[in-house]
Amino acid sequence: MSDPVSAPRRAKLELLVRKDDSGDGFEVREIGSAVAFIRSRPQRVPASSFELAEVASRVDGQRSFILKNTATDRFLLITEPERFLWEQMDGARSLQEIATAYVIRYGEFDFDIIPQLIRKLQRAQLLTLTTTSRLRQALARNRRRPMAKMAESALTVLERINVSSRNVQPVFRRAYRFGGFLLFTPAGVVLCAMLAIVGLAAGLKLWPDAERVVSGFGKSPLMAILSVKLLFLVTVAAHQVVHGLALVHYGRRVREFGFTFLHGFVPTFYIDVTDIFMGSRRARVVTAVSGAVVHLVLGSLWFLVALRATPGSFLQAFAAASGMIQWQAFVVALYPFCFIEMDGYHVLVDVLGIPTLKQDAMHYVSALLRGAAARRFTRQEALYVGYVFVSAVSVAAFIAFNVWLVVHAS
Amino acid sequence: MATSADTLTFLRSVRLFRNVDDTDLVTFAGSLRESPLRRGQVLFREGDHGDEMFLVRAGSIVISKAVTGRVEQVLARMGPGDFFGEMALFDRSPRSATIQADTDVTLLVLDRGSLARLTEDSPRAAAAFFQSLVHVFIERLRASGDLVAEVTRWGLEATGLDVESR
Repeated sequence: MSDPVSAPRRAKLELLVRKDDSGDGFEVREIGSAVAFIRSRPQRVPASSFELAEVASRVDGQRSFILKNTATDRFLLITEPERFLWEQMDGARSLQEIATAYVIRYGEFDFDIIPQLIRKLQRAQLLTLTTTSRLRQALARNRRRPMAKMAESALTVLERINVSSRNVQPVFRRAYRFGGFLLFTPAGVVLCAMLAIVGLAAGLKLWPDAERVVSGFGKSPLMAILSVKLLFLVTVAAHQVVHGLALVHYGRRVREFGFTFLHGFVPTFYIDVTDIFMGSRRARVVTAVSGAVVHLVLGSLWFLVALRATPGSFLQAFAAASGMIQWQAFVVALYPFCFIEMDGYHVLVDVLGIPTLKQDAMHYVSALLRGAAARRFTRQEALYVGYVFVSAVSVAAFIAFNVWLVVHAS
Repeated sequence: MATSADTLTFLRSVRLFRNVDDTDLVTFAGSLRESPLRRGQVLFREGDHGDEMFLVRAGSIVISKAVTGRVEQVLARMGPGDFFGEMALFDRSPRSATIQADTDVTLLVLDRGSLARLTEDSPRAAAAFFQSLVHVFIERLRASGDLVAEVTRWGLEATGLDVESR
């Protein structure tokens, strides 16, 4: 009688690791693929690329969820435990840590659930196990150079910095109750609009004297602009907080709020607003727009400060520059044609009903330029070409304007 | 230090010389010189130049190829009777891998000049030697294919990539 067919053994690699670059010492380590697998850190796609909704019908009392890849329009039906695993796959936790979290949460472990879920997610292009950026790969290749090694170590430390909380809903509820709700009342909207008009008038009044205004920076305008940018970073937190208040306004849940270094070197605040996908279109639009309004209001206030400040003083220059940056942030956040998937872009694709507008447009125009796409312009193709053209012109104009500003300030 | 009689006895057990008769084997043995290598010592590195092949008489060596930084992939381990570095006898390309001693090792060294003289003086023995060499080359070629497949399998398993469904 023959033996039943057994599963093939897991592959192993023998790697030789030198003790130093020049010496003779070494050790050989055998690395099994299973070890590499459990140490890998699965990274789900960004929050803007998927939607998660609970399925209304329940079978056997089990909760089910629909996970949608908004870039490919592919749907997955996942169970509640799978949703838990999905939420763990943030690129920071290893599969080993995720499995441990699963055991703690459910008190048991099904050894197949993680590999099966990973396969499902990969098929739906919702997950990647490649967490290393090109920058990190380049640094790793040049690790022998002290500067590259230092930069790599610094990035590793920064990437580990993630100050966040998943228990922020009560905080946002309180903030909403103690005044946050005013932002979503007609009076709040009118007040914002009035501030915008007054701020615009102040800005226009300052414009003819722009040279004298920026002269307040004195001999180090670039350093001053950098400090303005630093202050701006703080207001990004306010932007995210208002997104959170909008969620509360529409009865949705803020899943997470925190601070991290994006790609290891871009400091940023973030908020998980995915729950709003389950809300109405109006709720999604208001949530998207409300964050950006923070910059409009702050920009207006800064322009008013600049107008009241002593002409040619540092305060006037600082306030005017801050106002300019806030308004730029407002435009960039809401202006959908800049190749960046920010608030305005999400509103646009929601209205157009084309969740993959940028990707499809880039793909089509690229094929068109290579001569690989048919030159028939239906409404959709015209939309693609229009999006890429307006975005390219807008980005060029934005860069030119900022260069002009810096040159002018210098 | 081993005597010539010891070397001759050893060579008789080596697969590479199994079709070489005793008279020619004595000639071969005379062309070889002994070289010790202490544990952990690197004999040569990938990219070095050389014109010698080596026969492991005692101990074991590790053959590796650079991957990244201080990490190299182990291609093979070799023990008594195995040989390496033979490519340098036939072309002048840099060494394709790094050789280091896993234990204290004794090697027998055959250089390009000695092989040329042997070929001239004893063509029949040289033909037998080359024939055995070709057989080993074929085996190693097959093993390389297997290694590529194994490394690919490792990568697929390590990443959990589901290729069949793509």
